[in-house]
Amino acid sequence: MKREEDWVIEALDVSYTYDGNDERALDGLNLKIRRGTKVAFMGGNGSGKSTFFLCLNGIRRPDTGKIRIDGKAIEYTRKGLLEVRGRVGIVFQEPDDQLFSASVYEEISFGILNLGADEETARSEVESVIEELEITPFQDRPAHALSGGQKKQVAIADILVMHPEVMILDEPAAALDPKHTKKVQQIVDHLTEKGITVLMATHDIDYAYAWADEIILMHEGKVIRQGTPFDVCSDRAALKTASLEVPAVLRIHQRLKEKGLIPEDAVPPGSVDELVESL
Amino acid sequence: MILIDKLSYRSKLRYVNASEKLMYAVLTLILCILSHSVRVAALVFVINGILTVGKGGIPLSRYVKLLMIPLAFLIVGTAAIVVNVSKVPLDAFAFRLGEWYITGSMAGIYRALELCATALSAVTCLYFLSLNTVMTDILDALRKLHFPSLLIELMLLIYRFIFVLFQTASAITVSQQARLGNRDFKTRIRSFGAMGSELFILALKRSNVLYDAMESRCYDGNIRVLTRMQPPRAGEIAAIAAIELILVLVWICG
Repeated sequence: MKREEDWVIEALDVSYTYDGNDERALDGLNLKIRRGTKVAFMGGNGSGKSTFFLCLNGIRRPDTGKIRIDGKAIEYTRKGLLEVRGRVGIVFQEPDDQLFSASVYEEISFGILNLGADEETARSEVESVIEELEITPFQDRPAHALSGGQKKQVAIADILVMHPEVMILDEPAAALDPKHTKKVQQIVDHLTEKGITVLMATHDIDYAYAWADEIILMHEGKVIRQGTPFDVCSDRAALKTASLEVPAVLRIHQRLKEKGLIPEDAVPPGSVDELVESL
Repeated sequence: MILIDKLSYRSKLRYVNASEKLMYAVLTLILCILSHSVRVAALVFVINGILTVGKGGIPLSRYVKLLMIPLAFLIVGTAAIVVNVSKVPLDAFAFRLGEWYITGSMAGIYRALELCATALSAVTCLYFLSLNTVMTDILDALRKLHFPSLLIELMLLIYRFIFVLFQTASAITVSQQARLGNRDFKTRIRSFGAMGSELFILALKRSNVLYDAMESRCYDGNIRVLTRMQPPRAGEIAAIAAIELILVLVWICG
């Protein structure tokens, strides 16, 4: 019989303080994430999103509390860390912080070789991920000659080649033009189709509302609200604490209801497209 | 340096096996220096010119400009061999200055020419390598030659981050200029210093994040990567062997 709830990530009372700081970056954080879901992490700068992400694959070790991946607490041994880093991959916010090699091919092959793949397997994996993410046109260019969007594609390929169960994207659309933002969003949808659990930090509430299965609001190292986009976005107080606005589509929906243009019991739209469709 | 990097990615010889190119450049360089022969040097100069400009498709004007850089140093350097100060005038030329002569000998002039020719041809060997081979390929070739991996990893990271830091530095410079940071000599000096210290701090921060990013991909202290080396071609190896043989013959018989 299948387990009733399939949690891929569980964090229990996780706290973490950076050396030399008084405030805690994470302050008794609790959350659970279901396998295969799309989760948006929202909250201001310094709310602890990035620190938490680094805890999820064992780069930072919580001072107190526990993190379970696939129901198993992270073991901070060489073997345990290798296992957890193979399951949880992070795409860093700034591709220039992540790409260490000037050659795209070398760069992408790094992770899978570290997981212990033999050369032949690694080669075919690298080549298939290059094709999958449409990197082929610029694969022979040096990293410093790539555009921001292309660097981001390579950064995602870096992680995807390791076949993680959970993929973390830290503000993937930061500093990208609309065309590349769209491209990254398509890649993210593709990841979900492959059954990968995607956690994404973002400041775009409209995108998070339409995209995510769940939104997690963070503030001062704690989770202040977790739930479906509609539930979270209906909690004005929580949004205000996290300095976020109500998604435009919900505000319009609300106003239309007040004006009597749509019925009082209309189902709240999941996206702008849905709202337009219903009118 | 960034110009050379850009040109190397556009070279038509870019996809020739890097070990071959490295071998050719190093062997020819050694022959050049060992032979001390103007004939060998002239031949090498011509062959490298044909290879780089003709085969590699590097624009001639660029190539000439690049050759001018070492030429300036060479002229200054060899002047010391040509010009002597002595009480006795030598055979080539002499200017009297009181009891002393500023003077030079024919042997000295010949030796300076020989040195110039050898050095310039040696430089064309290095230009051939760096203008037609991208840095990552050179590193692959060194890896195949079992160069110490620590050195190769350092070169890999330095090469990548030269460009990142360069970009940061020029962004800082622009923002300083936008705030009149180079109004006069004093502010220019101060701005430059501020940029240096800022760059140092940024580099430290960057290296910390980079380490995290690499660790999250299971980095264990050794950078292992796959490379895509073009296979060596028998014809090219034969051509290299032929060129080296001709150079040796010219050296011995000349």
